Amino acid sequence: MNKLERLLNLTAALLAADRPLTAEELRVRIGGYPETKSAYHRAFERDKDDLRAMGLPLRVESVPGVDPPVDGYRIRRSDYAGTELRFEPDELAALHLATNLIRLDGDDTALRKIGRTGTAAVDEVGKVPFDDTLATLIGAAAERRAVSFRYGDTDRVVEPWRLSFSRGHWYLDGFDRVRSSERLYRVDRLQGSVQLAGPAEQPVGSVSDPLDLRGWELGDAAPISAKVRFDADQAAWARHILGEVEDEPGGGVVATLEVRNTAAFRSFVLSFLDHAEVLEPESLRHDIIEWLEALT
Amino acid sequence: MNARLTARDRLARLLSVIPWVAEQPDGALLDEVSSRFDYPRVLLLNDLQDVVFYVGVHPFTPDSLIEVEISNQRVRIRYADWFSRPLRLSAEEGARLLTAGQSVLALTDATEGADNEPSALLRALTKLGTALGEGARQAVDVRLGNAPDDTLAMLREAVSEGFRLDLEYYTYGRDELTERSVDPARIFSDKGNWYLSGWCHRAEGERVFRVDRIRQATLTTTPVSVEATTAETSFAPAGDLPRVLLRLDPSARWVVEQYPVDDVVTSPDHIDVRIAVSTVPWFERLLLGLGPDAEILAADEPLAADLRSSAAQRVLARYRQ
Repeated sequence: MNKLERLLNLTAALLAADRPLTAEELRVRIGGYPETKSAYHRAFERDKDDLRAMGLPLRVESVPGVDPPVDGYRIRRSDYAGTELRFEPDELAALHLATNLIRLDGDDTALRKIGRTGTAAVDEVGKVPFDDTLATLIGAAAERRAVSFRYGDTDRVVEPWRLSFSRGHWYLDGFDRVRSSERLYRVDRLQGSVQLAGPAEQPVGSVSDPLDLRGWELGDAAPISAKVRFDADQAAWARHILGEVEDEPGGGVVATLEVRNTAAFRSFVLSFLDHAEVLEPESLRHDIIEWLEALT
Repeated sequence: MNARLTARDRLARLLSVIPWVAEQPDGALLDEVSSRFDYPRVLLLNDLQDVVFYVGVHPFTPDSLIEVEISNQRVRIRYADWFSRPLRLSAEEGARLLTAGQSVLALTDATEGADNEPSALLRALTKLGTALGEGARQAVDVRLGNAPDDTLAMLREAVSEGFRLDLEYYTYGRDELTERSVDPARIFSDKGNWYLSGWCHRAEGERVFRVDRIRQATLTTTPVSVEATTAETSFAPAGDLPRVLLRLDPSARWVVEQYPVDDVVTSPDHIDVRIAVSTVPWFERLLLGLGPDAEILAADEPLAADLRSSAAQRVLARYRQ
């Protein structure tokens, strides 16, 4: 019996069981396992790891009526199938097309599960980064659950509302329970792993428009209103990325920014080299001067 | 690409194939099963005949075995009761489908089909969202780029109709505005920016342009004359660029990951790297942004070792007028 056949039989036996089955019972029922006890246990452990890695909801429960207690295994059918998802052929084709147009980092297994249909001979139009942390956060937003993580060296408990990909980064928008208000986080700056917590308590608020997301607005400091002048040759660019700007004689523009993160503001202004200048407040102007003087 | 499917990969596919085929009253064509579940046909036939055929539960009497029948390129499956429903989507798979789908919705505004009914994609995402949870509808939002819609629309038209574009383009690295005629080949998004690739008549070569740096685009009536390849152009630097030996604070490690560097030497309190400098303004921005976290140890000709200092003084001059 090959490994695939053994795994399929094991899955079938675990699904068909109406009570938890012991390792010994499974060995007898499935067949094809090594005879000696230690070799069997190694093979069985590997098989369990394989099933879990595939996302099969394998449960370990005490076998009823046995003393001393013995671990038993089963897969509950309600865990296995979950909510029924049935797509029409045109819907499957649309999803198939979407996953071909947009390439996410990592392996796409979903369409192999639900089956795909239609042809997708299209050029990919976009690549979007994706990882486990993001999947956990999206799952939590969908299921309306809170998450905990570390950010800026502080522990946070957040109810995720929306994950936005904008300007090359993923942002989490949600309700920070400790600060009792909406906050934005850059997902790639989350420290350590994200843990799922209990159900969300706050209703989903109106989320910030991700097109307005800018590094200098991501911070915990009280906002400071800053005025920045951009030269004529950068005016169109500044208008495009900042939206509202005031025209100046000579073609330059002045923009007003709400700054919560001084370091991000400084890097943004310095990316214009000598084509931009902080006009006010004096504190932020002084911050740039001091920064530059240290570099001369 | 599926030359080496592991037992786990095949098991995952079979757990979807079995319920789907079992549900088709007349079975299914092997070719269709193969393409639907991304299962190479030879392997599929082998696994159905040699594996699924023998799968059952204790005591493996004929009535407890799955029945597999293959004839005339069709497969029928019966009595697969324990596999009557497919394995649910994992949270990650659901999140991935939702992300890809929402990206395309945002991209094309494909919420309505030709008949003003909800599009197939919107219907699929609504079903998916219902299965994932009440917050799924607004859980994901993807902006592939932030270029103006009318510019993108014009570029798309130029690509599909095959007309040359006249561009006024801001070269960020060199900090200069140039005029170019481009035979467009492809538009794509990477890391949140839209790019246009094509043949640049000014540079006489294939070039990639960031769409949000196109200050002005004009669609001409000149058909494209050079078929540029649609392959992605690599951003790798040429080998003969001058290098700078840079000492970085450990907190600036992202520089090593983001830019082409060689000779990385990591010590407990700093990282030394050699970085290729394609253009001076680009490098000045990097240095001014890094501030005290980077220090030039040596620079190849014609770059000056006091590059950072002179850039800082130039910007400071604005503040001292």
